[in-house]
Amino acid sequence: MRSQADRDVCTNGAILDLWHPVVPASEIEVGIVRQVVLLGQAVSYSSTAPGVYLAWRTDPAIPAGTVFMPSAVTENLPVLHRYGYLWTSLGDPSQSLFEIPEYDEPDRRNIHAATIGVYCSAPRAVENFLDLGHFPYVHTGVLGIEPHTEVVEYDVHVDPKNNELWATNCHFFQPMAAATSTTGKMVGYDFRVPHPYCSLLYKTSPLDSSRMDAIGLFVRSVAPDYIEASMFLSLLDDSSSDSFIRQFQQLIFAQDKPILENQNPKLLPLDPRAETPVRSDKLAIAYRRWLSDLGVTYGVIPKT
Amino acid sequence: MIKLFDYILSVNCYKQRLIMSILDVPFESVPVDFYPGREHKSEEFKKINPLGHIPVIDDDGFMLRDAHAILIYLASKYDPTGLWYPIGSPEFLGETAQWMLFAEGTTNTASAARLHVNLGYDFDIESCRSGAHQLFRVLEEHLWFREQEDLDWVCSSEHPTVADIAIFPDVILSEEGGISRLDYPAIRRWTDRVKRIPRFTVMPGIFPAGDAR
Amino acid sequence: MNLWHPIASAEDLPYRHIFQGQLLGRELAVWRADDDFVNIWENRCLHRGVRLSIGRNEGFELKCQYHGWRYANRSASCTYIPAHPADAPVRTICNRTFSVCERYGLIWSGEDPTGDPPEVPLLEKARTLPLRSIAVNAPLNLVLEHLANYRFSLAGDPGNLAVTSANYLDQRSLSVTATFDSKQSTVLFFVQPVDSNRSVIRGVLSSSPTDSERILTLRHHSTELSRLREKVELEALKAPQIQPMTPTIEQVPVTSYEIKTPSSGRNASLRVQVLRKWVTAEGIVGLELESIGKPLPTPQPGAHIDVHLPNGLVRQYSLTNAPGQGSRYRLGVKLESDSRGGSSCLHETVKEGDVLAISEPRNNFSLRRDAVKTILVAGGIGVTPLLSMAHTLRNNKLDYELHYFAQTDGHLAFPEILQELGDAVAPHLGLSPEATSKELAALLVGYKPAMHVYVCGPGPMLEAARRIASEVGWPDAAVHFEYFKNTIEIDSSSSFEVSLARSALTLEIPSGKTILEILRANGITLMSSCEQGACGTCEVTVIEGDPEHQDVYLNDSEKAAGQRIMTCVSRAKSPRLVLDI
Repeated sequence: MRSQADRDVCTNGAILDLWHPVVPASEIEVGIVRQVVLLGQAVSYSSTAPGVYLAWRTDPAIPAGTVFMPSAVTENLPVLHRYGYLWTSLGDPSQSLFEIPEYDEPDRRNIHAATIGVYCSAPRAVENFLDLGHFPYVHTGVLGIEPHTEVVEYDVHVDPKNNELWATNCHFFQPMAAATSTTGKMVGYDFRVPHPYCSLLYKTSPLDSSRMDAIGLFVRSVAPDYIEASMFLSLLDDSSSDSFIRQFQQLIFAQDKPILENQNPKLLPLDPRAETPVRSDKLAIAYRRWLSDLGVTYGVIPKT
Repeated sequence: MIKLFDYILSVNCYKQRLIMSILDVPFESVPVDFYPGREHKSEEFKKINPLGHIPVIDDDGFMLRDAHAILIYLASKYDPTGLWYPIGSPEFLGETAQWMLFAEGTTNTASAARLHVNLGYDFDIESCRSGAHQLFRVLEEHLWFREQEDLDWVCSSEHPTVADIAIFPDVILSEEGGISRLDYPAIRRWTDRVKRIPRFTVMPGIFPAGDAR
Repeated sequence: MNLWHPIASAEDLPYRHIFQGQLLGRELAVWRADDDFVNIWENRCLHRGVRLSIGRNEGFELKCQYHGWRYANRSASCTYIPAHPADAPVRTICNRTFSVCERYGLIWSGEDPTGDPPEVPLLEKARTLPLRSIAVNAPLNLVLEHLANYRFSLAGDPGNLAVTSANYLDQRSLSVTATFDSKQSTVLFFVQPVDSNRSVIRGVLSSSPTDSERILTLRHHSTELSRLREKVELEALKAPQIQPMTPTIEQVPVTSYEIKTPSSGRNASLRVQVLRKWVTAEGIVGLELESIGKPLPTPQPGAHIDVHLPNGLVRQYSLTNAPGQGSRYRLGVKLESDSRGGSSCLHETVKEGDVLAISEPRNNFSLRRDAVKTILVAGGIGVTPLLSMAHTLRNNKLDYELHYFAQTDGHLAFPEILQELGDAVAPHLGLSPEATSKELAALLVGYKPAMHVYVCGPGPMLEAARRIASEVGWPDAAVHFEYFKNTIEIDSSSSFEVSLARSALTLEIPSGKTILEILRANGITLMSSCEQGACGTCEVTVIEGDPEHQDVYLNDSEKAAGQRIMTCVSRAKSPRLVLDI
């Protein structure tokens, strides 16, 4: 993995004091030590029994791949097991992790699709997840198709209860599976940003138009310009296999990857004069301002 | 109908999807949960391929594994022109084999780097990258000289061969592994030409080229 | 920094390809347009910084891979934003361009180059041969040092390397001459500084060998230079690590989020010379205008300019050019039988070589590129804006038809362009008003969602077309039109008040004066063009009150909605209007 240069180590309190995703719980082996890099620091984790997890700042005396001895760990990091992932914090997580009410509904399928490494910053990945205009060009024939490229007006607001950023009433033309430009329909989307490096989108379920399917992007920032992004779904889908759903999500994300890796600068500029937004970028503009207001400095170029 | 044991992000599976699209051969994609399921390493799948790799094809009972072997089979069987795998010419055939072996090299360097970044595979990424650049330098010089003789493909035939199909995906996705193609203008022109082959199709990470003039 | 550097070979730029280059740490997107113009741009889309080099060269426009934004050949200005197909992009969205010069088979550019690229007399006369370029992971100075000792064989025989002598031309190029028996061969090496630790060796042989020896010679140099590269790179590895260069990225001039560029009056900021004037059809002259001074801004399809005539009058003319096609403006001017001095001046007085003052293009009649099919209907001289639309649609491979109504075959303007457009053009000649209406009904039948029709021509024909379109099922939003004239009798007898929301000002508009006049008299800057309610330039948003529309620019739904007003002719039904200025 990447070397932990000094500049990669996060000192930004606004980010350190949050919960961050470490690894999907399904990939944790009982009794074996494993390690990842989070915000420029090595973090080790393991499990003493199914569902019981521990995490700590990596100690060279407890290398990855060895048998786990709980007594060897002197200071644990706080951990959470939520939505199928292990979460931890390198600071003081006074706020609880954001809620996803859909997860606990009995008829839901909750799926971890994949964790993929990308050479980009977490905010760039989140901002792309919040964007509709690229569907016909990046997800051609799947989520969008020319000439149906218009992004109609939508609404943006910040929820005063928990300071989460929302876009509602978004619509975009989605081609039918046959991917011809003449058959398709307008699909409704809502977007939610409950965390600087996590986002969820809600799409009307094809099985029940009164309920929404949720797709989440949970990003572990390894360095300011390198991430490991996990894709999560909470669906009402009955018929497709887990494998099919996973591959579809991986397809979508892998289509975004070359765009994210070809964006410069890598860190998201928060100064409104750094790039050229248009009306359809209302949510992106709000996201950048929201990050500024939160005092985020890791993974971004702050306003001067 | 041909069954292809397939994974959407696998370059080796993509090579088969690509040749079958170009040759207009219908097939059924059987998704294998390569990641995170590691289905290709399961006992069930090892009955299909004891080496635990994809792609594998099942053509009406005829089973074949290994990306380059499958390319050769599909081209030989389904290309009425006989140009994609040119058995009619010992020279072209020899070249095709030579460059398919070169593609083994790009797989072990460029594609390995990509797997390391994408899915966390344990490879020495620096040696993968420098290995890929060494191969790309060779390919760059080779393709440049082909252009000097008005030839467009890796082999000296006027028609592309399965060697182009074998090398193309590793090259076009090299940047996912951190291998830039800035130094290789002749390779970049060649990738545009491959993209303009009729019935060319993409995989995630590849964008189609626009029309030629 | 102020030097010209070679950044590519000419052969690196085939048509419909984008070359990714780098100079002094800055990445460049380099592409040859279909008219052979070589564009060198900062390799970053202004929208969200995606590399333009992963986009598409579509011949006259570059299409960004992320959101499909189009940038025009030559000017690098944004000509289309697919997320907002009905709106013309603000002119300030323009990529940073760099100077270009083609010389000795190489493409030259620079950050801010002064003077000319190097002139090498040795390369001017004979047939030169560009060698294969060699990318090296080493700094420029180290590469030059080694090149000074470069040895090669005249016969292409590596066993017989000749004695060579080197001669520096400037801080990044040198010539190396090999002598063998009485024969000589000289290579010119121009080294491109890609980054602090990366360079490209671009060699040019001063005299091309015979055809039979060409490949041999190229291979020989390729091999010898590769060997040289190995040595250089080994030495570079031993040297201390150098930081890569970090070029500055300029800020966007102004955010284009909901912006109207301020300007006062009918400005004529550009100077052009009449390059060509010819009779293109019965009663119609064509004019080709070329810039004196800076390059002309790229017009969007449907755009028009103000032409300030020598006799003091100002008239509006549509541009027939498609974005990115050529650096001149092409107009068609019909001699009006009741000309008040505008068209007659252009027909009779203005001649080739004359200098005219014109405005920048105004894009009020903009073309959507997201229609499943576009129908263009031209009446007489109304064909001019539709020609630029037709070309744009064709370049973008979008389905369209151009129906051209005219008196006779001899009245069809720009026949050479019509021929280029081929089968997509259908002439309708010598029809009476009734017959015209029948034809219109026939060609407008069969509306499907996401179809659009654009109509431009004389008033009565436009009225008929709009009425018929509505009758056969076209929604208002799919019918776009441009009147060249407003023939409505303007009634300026009313008087009312106008309140300016942003300027905290209330003004009285007396009978006989327009809102535009009064606002200007009170120091408010407002753009205008035709000043007769046809072109849409003087539009302002209405927040409160009941406008009395006397223009021919807004459609019926827009007029009914009452949120927009043409300040040059329209007035108020209510005693007061509140305007968003």
